[in-house]
Amino acid sequence: MRSRFPNKWLPYLLLLPTLALCAIFLYYPVIQTFRLSTYRAILMGLHRKYVGFENYVRLFTSSDYIHSLTITFIFAVGVVVLGLSISLAIALLANHKIKGARFYRLLLIWPYALSPAVAGSIWLFLLNPTAGVVNYFMKSLFGISPDWLTDGRLALLAVTIAAMWKNLGYNIVFFLAGLQNLPGEILEAAKVDGAGPWTTFWRVTFPLLSPTTFFLLIMNLIYAFFGGFGLIMVMTEGGPNKATNILIFNLYQDAFRFHKWGLAAAQSVILFIMVVALTLIQFRTTGRRVHYGGQ
Amino acid sequence: MKRFLVFALVMVFAFGLALGQDKIKITFWHAMGGWRVPFIERMVEDFNLTHPWIEVTVEYKGSYTDTLNAALAAARAGAGPHVFHSFEVGTQLLVDSGIIVPLEDLIDKFNLIVPWEDYIDPVLNYYRIGGRLYCMPWNSSNPIVYYNKTIMDKLGIEVPRKPTYNDIYEISKKVVESGLAEYGITWPVHSWFFEQWMAEQGVDLVNNNNGRTGYATEINLLDPAAIRIVEWWKKLYDEGLWVSPGRSWSQARQIFVSGQSAMLISSTSDVTAMENAAVEQGFELGTAFLPVPDGIERHGVIIGGGALWVTKDHPDEELQAAAEFVVWMTQVAQTIRWHQGTGYFPIRKTALKALDMEGWFVRFPNYRTAFDQLIETQLITATQGALMGTFVEARSTILDAVEAVLAGEKGIEEALQEAKTLIDQSLQDYKELVGG
Repeated sequence: MRSRFPNKWLPYLLLLPTLALCAIFLYYPVIQTFRLSTYRAILMGLHRKYVGFENYVRLFTSSDYIHSLTITFIFAVGVVVLGLSISLAIALLANHKIKGARFYRLLLIWPYALSPAVAGSIWLFLLNPTAGVVNYFMKSLFGISPDWLTDGRLALLAVTIAAMWKNLGYNIVFFLAGLQNLPGEILEAAKVDGAGPWTTFWRVTFPLLSPTTFFLLIMNLIYAFFGGFGLIMVMTEGGPNKATNILIFNLYQDAFRFHKWGLAAAQSVILFIMVVALTLIQFRTTGRRVHYGGQ
Repeated sequence: MKRFLVFALVMVFAFGLALGQDKIKITFWHAMGGWRVPFIERMVEDFNLTHPWIEVTVEYKGSYTDTLNAALAAARAGAGPHVFHSFEVGTQLLVDSGIIVPLEDLIDKFNLIVPWEDYIDPVLNYYRIGGRLYCMPWNSSNPIVYYNKTIMDKLGIEVPRKPTYNDIYEISKKVVESGLAEYGITWPVHSWFFEQWMAEQGVDLVNNNNGRTGYATEINLLDPAAIRIVEWWKKLYDEGLWVSPGRSWSQARQIFVSGQSAMLISSTSDVTAMENAAVEQGFELGTAFLPVPDGIERHGVIIGGGALWVTKDHPDEELQAAAEFVVWMTQVAQTIRWHQGTGYFPIRKTALKALDMEGWFVRFPNYRTAFDQLIETQLITATQGALMGTFVEARSTILDAVEAVLAGEKGIEEALQEAKTLIDQSLQDYKELVGG
């Protein structure tokens, strides 16, 4: 398989536009971010001072940042576990051949098409402590009206549910596709062998779906780390008292509101390392523990 | 005939083009959303009509933070807006940013006539740094109490014009006990109110004369004044008299307007909106001064809101046009219109007189409250307002502390001490970086 190009420089020439774009919009900013993370800088770096690893030291000795890490972890686990199990359940139901199935499927995918700002506003209305629909039912059923967004723990629960809900459509689409590609003969064989729906699901469907599940696991983790930003911005702004202050929001706040550019750059490097780690895990484990059908 | 017509058209076109090219073009970015966008566009249009040699292009840039960031980035790239709008807490940061030319420098340089003695002093004072006026105050406001007079009348309560903390507590209690409203009072969880209550008690928020005689290095969060504020706030909350709208201003307004709370503390710039809402909801609106702790002298309020800044690195003729535009925006006629349209202060004494003569305050007495509160303000550093390069961050830290106290996670002094440690560190970092 030697190169089929007549000139050995031609492929590089053809790659040049892409490389140039990557260099300008990806590599250069990344290098700059690494550099900036070793400075104490304000006003977009107008005033700056080299401080070595001070920003990193400050982050990992700051109880607020450790708190933010913990919150992010809880948020991510919530989004992934709840999101994957609920969307798999829904996908199983939506996979039944009933009248209007296509219509239902369309409705299920809907939340994904909403922008985070719109989704956040919808949840704000729903969870409004005094005029929201949720508390209307809470009050008439249980006689309570919880402060969804002003109580720290409830706020974290609320944004986790909102973020999970927002991504349901995406997960359902992939699970549905996965389910519809399952080899029919295996399912039929299971049936013939006398397996009930429960056994069929756990012994046949679920293992066969594992590539999809694994892919979604990684995508949802990345979503929880980065995609949660819009909702948090609209719903809680990281509050109350930093209860929903996930890493990406903390970074935004430090950079664009508080003008602490060096500190924000350091946080961005930390997030970068986390994503690299996630991606490596994905590459490494792909094809090992995951069952990829018969091919 | 036809040929003549064509000739005439061409001439008119060419002439128009020539005129158009002569125009001095400047840009103006502002941070006021919603219905204020077309309102501001109308004002700019009027300026362009009356100044045919200048063309101002106006653009809404999003929140104050967005506008500030956009202006900083653009100015660093050499394409800054000539005039932009920023909030008061960005003042120190902008002074240190190196993208600004002090307004007073421009006015001196181009010999513009500005009747300073006609401007209301506390308003200008906020933006005077080292004796020089850096920018033009534009949308100025302060906090007042709004109350549902219909509910108060039913209960036979007379809300004092200058209430104390205890007055508000007692009134709220009566309201809640009567069941006429679910809560006594609400206001957004915003540090602005905390800052105002410090000023009312005559206490500087930060050291070095509120950051006016040197970079601030310490915040006065352990002052008895600060503790008094949070104690009262917590008491109202614990007894179910104050309801939290979170950090949202609109949520607070909505709680009040929908009758769930009998009182609201919010910006005077809400007077117009509140008057309208009260009419729609069928209740009578009353207003009072910001409450102060009992037994403490009332020192007045800090003027909040935003101002217009001019960026440097433009040709002289453009800078002159920018300065003319900024001054025009605070002409008597414009401030009257601005006030009547938005509820922000007219910052000119003549405008006040004119409004008074035309019976504006008889028709809308609630506007009077805001003015009186401002005019009765003592000119001290506490009411002049604090200068901090890290003001936005400090605000957020203060709120975190208040929220932790309200939620019962921390004691008042513990929370304020922790907040002070964080804020002081940031202030000192800032000083080290900028002030040397």
